[in-house]
Amino acid sequence: MAESKPPVDEQSELQLKAQKRRNLWLAAALVGFVVIVGVSTAIRIQETDFSGGDRLYFSGYLDEAEKEAADREAEARYDALKAEEAAARSEAQETGDE
Amino acid sequence: MSVDMTAENTTPKLATAGDYVELLKPRIMMLVVFTALAGLVAATGVTGQGINPVLATVAILAVALGSGAAGAINMWYDADIDAVMTRTSTRPIPSGAVPKDEALTLGIIMSAVAVLLMWISTNVLAAGLLALSIVYYGWFYTMVLKRRTAQNIVIGGAAGAFPPVIGWAAVTGTTPLDAWILFAIIFFWTPPHFWALSLVAHKEYEKAGVPMLPVTQGAKATRNQILLYTIILAPIGLAPLATGLGGWVYGVVAAALTLVFMYFAAKVWRSEAGEPDAGAAERKLAMSMFAFSILYLFGLFAALIIEHGFGLYFAIGGF
Repeated sequence: MAESKPPVDEQSELQLKAQKRRNLWLAAALVGFVVIVGVSTAIRIQETDFSGGDRLYFSGYLDEAEKEAADREAEARYDALKAEEAAARSEAQETGDE
Repeated sequence: MSVDMTAENTTPKLATAGDYVELLKPRIMMLVVFTALAGLVAATGVTGQGINPVLATVAILAVALGSGAAGAINMWYDADIDAVMTRTSTRPIPSGAVPKDEALTLGIIMSAVAVLLMWISTNVLAAGLLALSIVYYGWFYTMVLKRRTAQNIVIGGAAGAFPPVIGWAAVTGTTPLDAWILFAIIFFWTPPHFWALSLVAHKEYEKAGVPMLPVTQGAKATRNQILLYTIILAPIGLAPLATGLGGWVYGVVAAALTLVFMYFAAKVWRSEAGEPDAGAAERKLAMSMFAFSILYLFGLFAALIIEHGFGLYFAIGGF
């Protein structure tokens, strides 16, 4: 025996349709958010110079001088590292020559 | 003052996508996006630092979302007074299209998404400034200032002044003097802009119990203040020429717009606009000044975009 369908008033049907439309928009927004986060992160990682003073998500300075000082420090660290490497290389070369 | 006119006692209607868009105050959002874009473009032109176009687009989207979020929070809190004023009574919450709680939820979630996107796409400084501007408008202006003081527009104007600084910070990770000059232009532009409108709409604000300047101090004091702030704005609008931020194009546009803005302010000052016996001509004059003020701000920031975005910068001065 087939059950008779309960009466659905027009208003609730319209509300249901509106809710479905909203859900679709929400889903689209969520997908968009995920894509934007993914693409932005990929670009940021690609553009960041991790060997220097760049910090991926913490690179804002309230003051230009503070930024310049941080950049100078990073450059000095980088130069010191390079000098250390060069010294180690030349030492290794000298040891090899002997 | 509490007004018993909320969404609960109006006939509910089905919300459309348009209602949700209206909740985000799209006209304000456009101006916010435009000024943020100007800050971003000017920063690239002045400093020579670049930003990936995709990241720049995401940053501008974040500014738009942040503006919309603050707008939704504002509409949630102001639903009672919006229902009283004719101009705002058809907004989504007082009309019953969008439930109040839903507007607040949307505002909070969008705020978080906006700040997160800004952080991911640019830097923590730009994200922090965006968060600050949302809190400033959504909480400080809407919940603290608006119903308490006639200076609400003056102090609250800072909320709308942040976008170019955010745009600048998004590119450089810093906020130098030039960025704060753009902030000051919008900050000092807001009072004459908004008070010109309130000279026409003061009865509505009075009905809703909002202490706008014409309601608390009268029309004459408001006209004086409009003139005063326009006089202060004039040199600030031309300040980019001194720092080298603005070149010839900006100089010509700013000089012309400033002269016309001063003309309007002087005309409104001499008029009876906002007085109880003011006629249609006075109302028209105040509305003309309101409309021109939008053109003024648009013109200044458009000139910066043209100069720095299209390679048309020819320096006048600068240090």
